[in-house]
Amino acid sequence: MNTVIRRLTGHLARGIAMIWVVTTISFVIIRNIPGDPVRGQYEKLIEQGMGPDQAERATAALYGFLPTGSLWDQYTGYLNGLIHGDLGQSLSTPGTGVATLIGSAAKWTVLPVLGGTLLSFLLGVTLGVYAAIKRSGKLGDALAISGSLLHGVPQYVIGLLVTAIFTTLWPILPAGGPVDISFEPGFNAAYIVSLVQHATLPVLTYALASYGGWILAMKSSVATVLGDDFILAAELRGLKRSVLFRYIARNAILPLFTILALSLGMLFGGAIFIETIFNYPGLGLLLVNSIGARDYALMGGTFLVITVAIVVANIAADLLYAVIDPRVRTGGAA
Amino acid sequence: MTESFAPGVRVQDLTVVYRTPVGELPALAGVGLTLAPGTITGIVGESGSGKSTLALSLLNAVQPPGRISGGSVEIDGLGDVVRLTGDDLRRARGRQVGYVFQAAQNSLNPLKTVGKQLLDLGRSHDVADLPALLREARALLGRMGLDGGRVLDSYQHELSGGMRQRVGIMLALVLNAHLVVLDEPTTALDMITQATILRIVKEVHRERGLTTLIVTHDIGVAAEVTDSLAVMYGGRVVEHGPTMDVLGSPRHPYTRGLIRAIPRLSGDIGEATALPGRPPTLGTIPAEGCVFRERCPLRMAVCDTVDPAPAAYGERTVACHAVGRPVNLAVRKEYV
Amino acid sequence: MTVTQLLPAPATPRRNFWRGVLRVMRRKPSRMAGVAIVALFAFMGLFGPLLYPSPLPRDDNALYAAPSWAHPFGTDFEGTDVLALVVTGTRYVLLAGLATAVITVALGTGIGLLAGFHRGRWDTVLMRLTDLQLTIPGLPLLLVLSTVWKFTSPLEMGVVLGVLGWGGIARAVRSQTLSLRERGFIEAARGLGLSTRHIVGRELLPSMAPYIAMNMLIAVTGAIYAQVGLFFLGVLPFDANNWGVMLNLAVFGGGALTSAAALPYLLAPLLAILLLTLGIVLVVDAMDEIFNPRLREE
Repeated sequence: MNTVIRRLTGHLARGIAMIWVVTTISFVIIRNIPGDPVRGQYEKLIEQGMGPDQAERATAALYGFLPTGSLWDQYTGYLNGLIHGDLGQSLSTPGTGVATLIGSAAKWTVLPVLGGTLLSFLLGVTLGVYAAIKRSGKLGDALAISGSLLHGVPQYVIGLLVTAIFTTLWPILPAGGPVDISFEPGFNAAYIVSLVQHATLPVLTYALASYGGWILAMKSSVATVLGDDFILAAELRGLKRSVLFRYIARNAILPLFTILALSLGMLFGGAIFIETIFNYPGLGLLLVNSIGARDYALMGGTFLVITVAIVVANIAADLLYAVIDPRVRTGGAA
Repeated sequence: MTESFAPGVRVQDLTVVYRTPVGELPALAGVGLTLAPGTITGIVGESGSGKSTLALSLLNAVQPPGRISGGSVEIDGLGDVVRLTGDDLRRARGRQVGYVFQAAQNSLNPLKTVGKQLLDLGRSHDVADLPALLREARALLGRMGLDGGRVLDSYQHELSGGMRQRVGIMLALVLNAHLVVLDEPTTALDMITQATILRIVKEVHRERGLTTLIVTHDIGVAAEVTDSLAVMYGGRVVEHGPTMDVLGSPRHPYTRGLIRAIPRLSGDIGEATALPGRPPTLGTIPAEGCVFRERCPLRMAVCDTVDPAPAAYGERTVACHAVGRPVNLAVRKEYV
Repeated sequence: MTVTQLLPAPATPRRNFWRGVLRVMRRKPSRMAGVAIVALFAFMGLFGPLLYPSPLPRDDNALYAAPSWAHPFGTDFEGTDVLALVVTGTRYVLLAGLATAVITVALGTGIGLLAGFHRGRWDTVLMRLTDLQLTIPGLPLLLVLSTVWKFTSPLEMGVVLGVLGWGGIARAVRSQTLSLRERGFIEAARGLGLSTRHIVGRELLPSMAPYIAMNMLIAVTGAIYAQVGLFFLGVLPFDANNWGVMLNLAVFGGGALTSAAALPYLLAPLLAILLLTLGIVLVVDAMDEIFNPRLREE
C-alpha cells in the first residue's frame, strides 16, 4: 500500500499547489480590475454614510479582503478567508453567500455531467472494442470515422446543432432551463418528467461531444492489447472466447480510467458552453453570469470550486487505478 | 503415465502464406517433418526461417495476415489439426497440445494472479475438479523447484524470468497435454537459469512421457536436450536427423556453415567463420530454385531453377542438389 | 498557408520528399480536398477584408433575410450579408490561431527540450510546471482573464491561448528527447565533439519536426475553437470581427433558435468552423502518412 500513499500525497501536494495558483490568479485579477471596484465599493459605502470600520467590513465581506491596507495584507487576508471556507458575499444576488449559490448550482452541473460522461463512456468503450476487432470491416471504419469527426468538433457546435434540430426544426424538447416552472417542485410525476425532458438535450450533448474520444481511445487501446503476447498465449491455452474477451477488455479499459478522470475534471470547465446554450443553471453558467454581472467574489469562488473538482477527480482516479491495477497496488514495475 | 501416451506428429507438405501488399508470400513452402512419439525434437534456424511459424502450425494458430494454405499436421489422437475449427480446435489447444512461450514474452495476464488464470484455464476446458487442478499445479511447480502456493498467489510482475518460464511450462502441462511445443524456452534468461530450465524440460519430458518440440536459434541448446534436430532455412526444412548425426556430420551446406560459425570456448576465435550474406526475408525468398543458393559454396547450375526436394539418407533427410555427390566434407567432429 | 510551408524540409532527400508528398496526396483525393479547404480559408483570411467595403453595408429593408442569390446565407439583424461577415471574420480567427500555434510550439518545444536534455532538477521543476498547466481548467481561466483583458487584437488572443496551451507539446517533446537519449543518440553526438547547439538544432529538432508540425496544426484547431467559443459566450466586447460574435448574436440576440428563418445566420459560422476543422484534419492525415516512414515505405 506504500506506493499508493506516496502517489496520493504527491497528488494532494500538486492539487494544493494548483488551488493556490488559481486563488492567487483570482486575487490578482480582482485586485487589478480596471476601475478598482473594491475601492469603489468602499468609497460608495462611506458616501452612503457608513463609518469607515463598518464600510471596510462590509466590503471585505463582498470581496474577501480589506479594501485598505497593503497588498500583502490584502493577499493574506484573502487566502485566510478561503482557508476558513469563506468565499464571500454575492454582489448580484444581494444577501446571499457565494458558497450557497455555488452549492445550489453544483447539483445542476454534477448530475448531467456524470450522466452524459457515463453514457458516452459506456457507449464509446463498447463501440471502440467493436471498431478495434472489426478493424477492416465497413462498420468498424464507419465507427472510427464517426469517432474522429465527433471528437474533432467543439462542444458548442454540437450543442448548437442539437438545439437547432430538436427545438427549432423539429421542436420536441424544451430549449432551455432546468425544469418547467409551472410544476410544483417535489416528487411528483409531472415535475420529474419535466426535469428529465430539460436534461435530455444537455446530457445528449455531453455524450455526443465526448463519445468520439472514447471510441478512438478504446479502439487504440484494444489494438495495443490485442498485439500483446499474453492474448496469443491465452488463445493457445484454449481459453474460452468469453474469458479471452474479459482479458482484453479489462486490460484495454485500464488506461482509459485516467482519461475518464481528466475528462470529468475538464467537463466541469466544459459545462460552461452547454449550460450557456441550454440556459442550465450549473456552475458554468454561474461563472459566465458572474462575469457578466461583474460579481467578482462569485467569479473567484466558482473558479476555485471548479479547480477543486478537478483536483478531487484526479485523486479519485488514482485511487481507482490502484484498486484495479495490481502493478500499482503492489508497487511493481508497470 | 507411460511412454505410450506420447503422440507422434506428422507434418506433411505444409505451406503457410502471409498476405502482403505485393501478394501472398510463402513463410513455409511444403514442409515435411515427423516427430517420433516420446522424443524431443529441436528446430534450429535464423530468425525468419519459419521455425516459429511451424511451431504455431502445430496448434493451427498461425496469426493473421498469415494462413495455412495447404498440407496437413497429423497428431495421434487428434487427427489433422489443420482441419480442426471452432471449439474442437480450442479444446485441443491446452488439453492435448501445450505451448510454452519465450521467457521474454509476457504470456500471463498482468491483471490476474497465476492461480486465477489457472482457474480460467480449468473452466475453459470444463475441468470438474478445480481443487485437484490446483493441487496438480502446485505439485508441478514444486517439481520445478518453486513454492507452488506462493507462485499461484503472485502476479506476473512479481515473478522473475525463470519463474515465469516455469509457470508457462506448468500451464502447458497441467491439463495433461502430451505434446508440448516450446518456443525459444531459454532466450533472454541468464546462463544459470537457462541450464535449470533445460534440465527441467528434460526431466519433465521423461517423467510425464511427452513428445516435445523445441524451437531455438541456439545450437547449444539443441545439442543439449534434443534427440533429433531439424534445420530450417527460408521456410524449408533443409536437414533433419538424429541430433548427434546432424551436428556431428552435417551434410547440407547451410548446416555446415551454421556449425562452423559457432565460436568455441577453447581454441582460436578466428576459427569461427561467419556465414557470408544474410538470411532471406519473406520478400527476398527466390520464387524458384534453391533458397540457399545465394550463400552456398556448392552452388551449381541446377540450383537456379530447381528447388531441391528432401531426400532420405538413412535416418537423415537432406534437401540439397550437391549432397550425394563426391564433395569434400570438411567436418569437425568435435563440435558435438 | 499550406502545410508544406510550415515545415522545415529535410536537407538532403528533398526531391524524394516532394515526390512522396505528391504520391500521398494522390492516393486519397480527400487529402487534396483538405489542402484546398485550408488554402481557401487562407485566401479568405488574407484577402477577405479587401473584398468587401468597410464597414460592411447594411440593408435596412432586409433584416434577417432568408437565403437568396444576393445573400447566400441570408442577412443578420442589421441587414448585413452573413457570408460577408464570415469571410471578413476569417482573418481574426486564423491570425489568432496561428499566433497560438507559434507560441504553443515555441514554448512547448523549448521547455520539453530543456527538460529532456538536462534531466535532473530542471526536468522535475519544468514537468511540475507542465502538469500544472495541463490540469488547470483552461476555459474558466480564460473567462476569468477576460474581465481584465479585452482581446480586441487577434495577436493578444493568440498569445494568451498559447501561454495556456503549451503543456501537451512540452510533455511529448520531452519524452521524445528522452527516448533519443536512451538510444545513445546524444552521447554519440557528444562523443563526436559536437556542441550542444548543434546537437539540439541539427540532430534533435529535425527528427522531431514532423511531430511538432502536426501538433502545431492541432493547436491551431484548438485555438480556433477556444476563441470562437469565448466570443460566443459573450464575455468579450463585440467590436472584434469574429465568428463567435456572430454565433452569440444569432443565438442570444437574434433568436436564431426560435425561428427557422434565422437559422442560416447561426449555421453559417458553424459551417465555417466545421469546414476548416475538416480541412485541417485531412491535412494532418496526409502529413501523418508523409512523415510516418512505416506507412511510406509500403
